[in-house]
This record gives sequence, C-alpha cells and structure tokens, in this order.
Amino acid sequence: MGSRRVGLFLALLFAAAQASAQYPARPITLITPYAAGGSHDLNARVFTTFIQRHLGQAMIIKLVPGEAGQKGTLEAIRAPADGYTLIFTDNYRDQLYQHTFANEFYDTNADLISVARINYGQVGLVVRGDSPYRTWADLEADARARPGALKFSHSGLWAAFFVTASQIMQDRDLRFRLVPYRGGGPAKAALLAADVDVSAAFPATLGADIEVGAVRVLGTAGTERTLAGVPSFAELGISQSTGFMHRVVMAPTGVPDDRLARLRRAFAELQSDPAYLAAMAQLGENTEYMDGVEYEAERVAQSREYEALAHSLAGR
Amino acid sequence: MLESLLAGFEAALRIDTFVWMTGGLLLGMLMGALPGFTTTMGMSVLMPIAFLVGDPLIGIPFLIGVYKGGIYGGSVPAILISMPGTAASVVTVFDGHELAKQGKARKALEMALFASVASDFCSDLLTLVMIIPVAAVVLGFGPPEIAAIMFLSLVIVSVTSTGPALKGLIMLGLGLWFGFVGADPFSAMARYTFGTSELYDGFHLIPMLIGLFALPEIFNAVRIGETRGGRVASLVGERLSGAELKRSVRTIVRSTGIGTVVGLVPGLGQTVAAMMGYIAAKNASKHPENFGKGELDGVAAAEAANNAVNGPTMVPLLTLGIPGDNVTALLLGAFMMQGLRPGPTLLESSGPIVFGILFAMLLANIIFLIAGYLTIPLFTRVVTIRKTLLIPITIMLAFAGTYLARSNPFDILTLISFGVVGIVAKKADFDVMPMVMGFILGRELEYTFGQTISLAGDSLLQYAFTERLGMTAIVIATPVLGTLLGRRMNRLRRQDLARRAL
Repeated sequence: MGSRRVGLFLALLFAAAQASAQYPARPITLITPYAAGGSHDLNARVFTTFIQRHLGQAMIIKLVPGEAGQKGTLEAIRAPADGYTLIFTDNYRDQLYQHTFANEFYDTNADLISVARINYGQVGLVVRGDSPYRTWADLEADARARPGALKFSHSGLWAAFFVTASQIMQDRDLRFRLVPYRGGGPAKAALLAADVDVSAAFPATLGADIEVGAVRVLGTAGTERTLAGVPSFAELGISQSTGFMHRVVMAPTGVPDDRLARLRRAFAELQSDPAYLAAMAQLGENTEYMDGVEYEAERVAQSREYEALAHSLAGR
Repeated sequence: MLESLLAGFEAALRIDTFVWMTGGLLLGMLMGALPGFTTTMGMSVLMPIAFLVGDPLIGIPFLIGVYKGGIYGGSVPAILISMPGTAASVVTVFDGHELAKQGKARKALEMALFASVASDFCSDLLTLVMIIPVAAVVLGFGPPEIAAIMFLSLVIVSVTSTGPALKGLIMLGLGLWFGFVGADPFSAMARYTFGTSELYDGFHLIPMLIGLFALPEIFNAVRIGETRGGRVASLVGERLSGAELKRSVRTIVRSTGIGTVVGLVPGLGQTVAAMMGYIAAKNASKHPENFGKGELDGVAAAEAANNAVNGPTMVPLLTLGIPGDNVTALLLGAFMMQGLRPGPTLLESSGPIVFGILFAMLLANIIFLIAGYLTIPLFTRVVTIRKTLLIPITIMLAFAGTYLARSNPFDILTLISFGVVGIVAKKADFDVMPMVMGFILGRELEYTFGQTISLAGDSLLQYAFTERLGMTAIVIATPVLGTLLGRRMNRLRRQDLARRAL
C-alpha cells in the first residue's frame, strides 16, 4: 500500500515536471481592462477561441474594467511574470494614460513587454451625408472661421476618438467643441441625429451608412488611402500616427525568454489560420499582425508623442 | 417586405433553432440567478459558441435566449433571498422578498414569470410591427431629452417614496452624493476619493445593491437568533390564482408600455424601466401603502417593465447599427460575425433572416414560459432550507457574487459598507429605494446634462427653445406632475394614518 502511494506520488511528480518543462502546462489568463461588449472584448473572444490550437492550452479572458483601464493594467503588472497572465490593451491605455492620470503605481514601458499586435483600427473623420462639408477643406475653413463652434462627438474622455480629435486640433491648430458620449455607438447616433457636426468612427462600423449615403467620410488615418476616393490623413496634413488604435497583447516584464518566444510563435502561427482570419473578417476587423519585437520599437516613439500631447492638453 | 416577413416566419420554425434557444434561455436564467454574474457577462462568455455554430438563425436566437433568461433569472434570488441577481431586478426585491417571507414565494415567482413573459411577448410583437416606422423616432432622443427624463424621474422618485417626505429626500440626497464619488465624467478630476485609486471609478452598483438589500436580511436573521428550525418561510405557498393574475393585468399592460418606450430610448435600461413601472403601479393602486410590504402587483409591475425593454433595444441596433448598451453591443458583434451588418441596409439585404430572428425572439417567450414554470418548484425550495444552512450560503453568494462582477477586492469593502448603511437605514426606518435611484439616476443626469451644456454652447436657453423642444416640454411638465403626484401621495398617506388611528 505504502509503496504504491510513493509510486503514485513519484508518477505525479514526474508528470508535473514534464508539464512544467512544456510551457504552457495550464490555461493562460488574458486580462482585458475593458467592460464586456466593447471592441476589445469582441476581438479577444475571437482570437482566444483559435489560439488554443497553436498554443496547446486555452486562453481565458478575465475582464478587469475600471479606473480607465488602470486597474487591469496594474493587475497584469503585479501578476507573476511566468507567462500565465497576459494583458490585451491598446496604445492609449499603454502609452497615453500614464501621462494623463495621477499615476504613481507603474510605468508600462518598463513593466510590460509586447507579445503581439493583433490588429489596428484606423479612425475616419465623418460628417452626415447631407452636411454642407463636402471635403475636409470645407470643414477646416469653417472651423477656422468659427473656433469652438463646430461640435465633434467622441467616444469618451481619453478614448480613441477623443485622442484623435485632440491630435487633429493640435496638428491643424483648430478648435472643435468636443462632446463626450459613452462609446462609439452613441457618438455615431449623435452624428446621425444632427446633434453634432462631425464625428470619428472606425470605417468598418460604417459600411452600410456609407452605402446609403447617410454619412460621408472626409479622411482616414494613415499615409495610404483605405476607402476609394477618400484622402488619407497624411494628405490632409494630419500627422501619421493620429487615429491609429493598436490592439496589443502584452506580458509582464521578466517573463522567461523561451516562454515569451513560445507565445510570440503561437500568435505568428495564428495569422495563417483560415478560421481565425475568416472570423476577424466577419467582425470587420483587419488582421494586420505585427510581431512583438517590431511593436516594441513603435512603442518608444508613441510614448514621446503622447507625452507631449498630454502635456499640451492639460495646459490648455 | 411582406415576403420577407413570411419567409422569416418560416425560417424561425426550425427545430434546431428551438433547441438552441431553449439552451440559451436556461443558461441565461442560471446566470441571471447567480448574483454578480450579469447578463452581459453571460452573453460575452457564451459569444464564441454563437459564432462557432456559424448559422445566424441558431447563434443569435441562442444569445437572445441568454439575454431574456438573464433578465428574468435575476428576479429569483431577488425574491427568495433579497439579493438582486442583476441590477434590473432590484425593484423586484421590494415586494418579492416580503412575499417570500410571508410564505408566498411560489406566488411571487410565478407572478414574476408571467409578467416577464407576457410583457416580453407583447414588446417583441410591437418591435416586429413597428421596427420600420419607429426607427426614425429613436434618433429624436439625444442627451438633452434623456437628461430631462432623468430629472423627471428623480422628482417622481422623491415625491412617491414611502414614509415621511423628509426621510425620502435625505436618502435621495445621499444617493446623489454617492453617485458623485469618483472621477467626474468631463475632466476626469477625482471627487471624494480621498486620494485612493480604488474610489476613482466610483462605487460599483452590484456590491452596493447586494449590500443594501441582502446584508440587512442576513443580519436580521442572525440577530434574532432563531432556533435551528428557523426558515425564511415554512412553506413555498400556493400557486398564483387566476384571480390574482387578472387583478394585475392592468399593471402588466401599463408596465409593458413603459418598458417598451424606455427600451426605445438608447441608454435608459431595465433598472429605470422597472422603477418607473413600479412607481406608476403604486400610484394607480387603490392601496399604495401595501407596496413594499408584499404586494403581488409590485412584483408584476417591476418584472413586466424590465422585460419589456428587451425587444425594443433591438430597433436602434438593427435599423441604425447603433448599440444602446453593452448587451446590444455584443449582439452587434454576433450579427457581424454571422455576416450580417446591422444598419440601414440590413432589412433589404437580409430581410428574411432578420424577421426570422425577430420571430424566433417572439417564439422564445413560449419556451421561456414553460422552462420558467418547470423550474419554479425547484427554486422555491430555497425558502424551506433551514436558516442555519441558508444563511451561510447567502453570505457566500453575496461575497462571491460581488467579487465575480469585477474581480475587485475593493468591492467587498463597498459591499460591507453598504450593508451597514442598509442595516442602519432599516433600523431608523429609512427607505433605501430613493437612495438607490438617486445613485443610478443622478450619475446619468449629471452625464447627460453635461453633454447638453456642451452641445448648447453659449446659450442653454436659446438651445432649449429653438432646437430641443422635447426636452423643454418635459422640464416644464416636471413640476406640475411632481406636485400632482405628491399631493395624491400625501392624501393617501393621511388616509392610511387615519385608518390606523382608528
């Protein structure tokens, strides 16, 4: 009896050792510092469903909303750096917030390291179909003539569309009256109801509205055109990084190199999984994946830019 | 259009759609019944199943089943252990739990079920019929109108509260103040946070509700120190009689109307609907003094109103592609993953599928009724569990549910603090309802009023009288309605006192 127990114990010990040699040996927790139902939640539901095949373990979403994302970020940073806790965040939460809120608890650049950029959202500037503004030049001329008169609906303080509007105002030396709404949906409703003059939106959410002529897109983020006949922000004289929301998976700094490499490899493999690509396409999201190493370089540039933006907005 | 309607009806009559929808309903009820596990969380967790199935007439009815089941499921712990399973069922606690304590748990649960199903069915039917004409009206409700509705609701809550008016006002003021704690929504400046990062987000609603409603009940039960045989009630009670149901028909119809309108306005939500339905019923009743003491009509009013919200929230989603809350945002994602793009072209491009989904929603109510009816005898057993067993379970549910909602240890402190507030309020005979409503409505009023000021620019008055006549009308009507309701309530209160003096 006794020897059998010892045997069992040894077998278990062996199994455990075997398992720990093979990371990941148990499911991985993915903290998302957002509420249920937002675009991050939806994106995460999709890739966590398919990553299992490439990682050999499930990835479980843990929603930790609150304190404008600081709560979830802090929880990820304080978690053991063993590769079993990751965070799914974006460039604003990662790089901008620390300059805007009184934050004495962490420095994301030192405390988190990129695993993979899943995709990005490119913001477009939109007006109603019956708006007098045919082009960005029309809108800009009016905004210059009447500073602070044009109403711009955005998705909430320090969220993607607010930052985009602020960056545009800074780049073009304009002033809109920024009206906050609880998320992109209500911000779009305000535009359609003619409560505001201009808004921002991810073009993927506008498909049918553009088709029926309910809205007109005046420009989209980046240096290249993404919609036929719609100029890019670069053509309009708006800086290149404006309106880019990167959705990124990160790990606490200090995660062993082999585990980080394993995670990065799984996300790289995911990019050739047809089921994953199809699901993301249905959701209307792109799959412009970027390797963690490459994204790390981008982060440094972002950090400087956002710090300057935050200081100029706070000084206003 | 008629063709798509018929094609949709045919498409909805599929056995697999039914099976999945039933599964969704049962899962939703279970999740709604678990305190702290919100309907949104349930749908979010089950979302991958919906898109892996890959058929819009299975995946979406499945999620809608979870939604409907969840909103009803919340009323089960609200009635049985005074613990609202979701925020939508907080109003159900007032009379539901009193009924359970009087040994009428079964009646209360059956009333909740019938009211939920009947109003859900009617509002779904209205949605199906009105989806096209109503879509245009929805955009008429912007922040200014919502702010005016919130203001009106606050006035109504304060004049119709139970007990002395001053006590009600004090509680309302406290609720408003609790709502101010945290970052202000426009400049993100911290208010009343005492330098802590935990309070930056303000108080979370779920621990607050569980603390206010469930902890005082637990405390009471422990304090009384009943002997081992103590139970919430000795019996589950009789079934709901036809006469009782008939008496509440008017209330159910009224609450369905209120809930349907609330559902059409993006962002008001189930809790506001339940509160409005409850107050309207109390005001229309011949015995408003019975409300809060175990009035079946109160359960019917709250449950009919909160379920009636479900159908109409689909209107702005389907016709404009605008999700009004987190639940509809999830449904938007589900639609898109099935290759359907909610928005102005959806009805033309995929009419049959959309009508199929709407019909499935309608038919889901029948399954809802059967599934609910069959589970009630199981649920009602809870009240007959010995308190020595039930109280530890309730305490565990309260704490686990609180933690489950946001995984935030600070919420446990919120739970305990509001538990203390609830116990003290009960002892001093203060009604906590105005406080809860002040908390919920005050935050919303602040936000929408701030938006209104921002939209109005230089002159709020000019904006109100030129562009926002709807808002202006509501604001002008508010004091009139408030005075009338207040007078009526005072008269009834005096009559009640006189009757008691006799």
